[in-house]
Amino acid sequence: MRGEGTGPAAREPGLRETFDAGRRELALYVIAGAVYVAIGVAFPEFLFSWVVAGGYLLVCVILLPAVVRRLRSP
Amino acid sequence: MSWAAHDLEPYVIQKHLGRKIAFVPLLVGSYAPDMLSKWFVYGVSLADIELKADTPAQFHRGWPGAGFTHSLLFGVLVGLILYAIWRNKVVAYSFVIGQWAHALTDTGDTVGSMLLFPLTDHLFALGAWAYAGQTGRYVDAGAYFSGLGFVWDGVFVVWGILSWRVLTRGYFRDTVAVADPFWRWAGRYLSETTLVMLYRASFFYGVARWTAWLIWAHVVRSFAFDLRWGGPRWVPRIYADELNAAPACKCPGCCSMRPRLGFYGAVALCAVAKGRSASLRGALAGAPRRRMLKRRRRLKQRRREAEN
Repeated sequence: MRGEGTGPAAREPGLRETFDAGRRELALYVIAGAVYVAIGVAFPEFLFSWVVAGGYLLVCVILLPAVVRRLRSP
Repeated sequence: MSWAAHDLEPYVIQKHLGRKIAFVPLLVGSYAPDMLSKWFVYGVSLADIELKADTPAQFHRGWPGAGFTHSLLFGVLVGLILYAIWRNKVVAYSFVIGQWAHALTDTGDTVGSMLLFPLTDHLFALGAWAYAGQTGRYVDAGAYFSGLGFVWDGVFVVWGILSWRVLTRGYFRDTVAVADPFWRWAGRYLSETTLVMLYRASFFYGVARWTAWLIWAHVVRSFAFDLRWGGPRWVPRIYADELNAAPACKCPGCCSMRPRLGFYGAVALCAVAKGRSASLRGALAGAPRRRMLKRRRRLKQRRREAEN
């Protein structure tokens, strides 16, 4: 994968360790999920397609954080 | 039909099979039967023209119709095509496992699926929840999330969450990306974060959609819960015996779909699967020769007895 290592893990991390390591990432997915559910309940058409869900996730988890990072950086 | 199980089953299977399975063909297999048929069940509008099946259940699960996409043999055939293209056994059988999971899951409703097509067009149905695709997407959603269907999906939501380890970046890197050639190819163009997001997308879609439809059906709308077998009873549902009437066409293709023939075919398939085909073939081929030799021996013996 581009620019990232692919070495095997020394041992399997537990739930707490995984949670600590990916807290920010998990929070991002949970918030994205909550907003997706809220939009879906209000407009069920939003729930029809996998492509819409994938695009939404791409915006929330990849693009928005990248934009925020860019705006924050001097 | 299932609304979230098909999104979540691949993650549960992934957890149990690890590097023995390729995730993308597994997921595509899990979606494949409905990808080819469901859009026509609910209908689509294209430039003021509405395309919709006259009898949605017959089209979705029956024959004539697209019900063959829910048969076990369809998965095997597509798997063989994939193998012919990519020469990769893991890709081929991953698709087959995903498609079989879909076909078997869909036997849970009142219509079921033609698992043994084309050996027989019999619809195998457990009848646990109502099939109401003909009522349109919203009433179908309301019915599904009021009967045992949403409980079945809930099993996969919980099972998927309990399999949380398969969603981690480390697992993706060490197991999923290693076993599936798609991720190696996509990794040339996309960052690992994007690949992990794509890998998690179906899980996200399944869990979020299950939650949203459940809230929509019982908070925004007031569909009544009915967790009885075959429920909810308030929705007009279709049963397996209402589909696949006796074929009017008398051609050998249509006439061959008889349960007895299906039974013989199933026996033959089992024999092949158990590796007995060679010995069976040998036995069948050798039988006339053995009978002839026996007859000759008997004749010789009689002649000898007559001479004596």
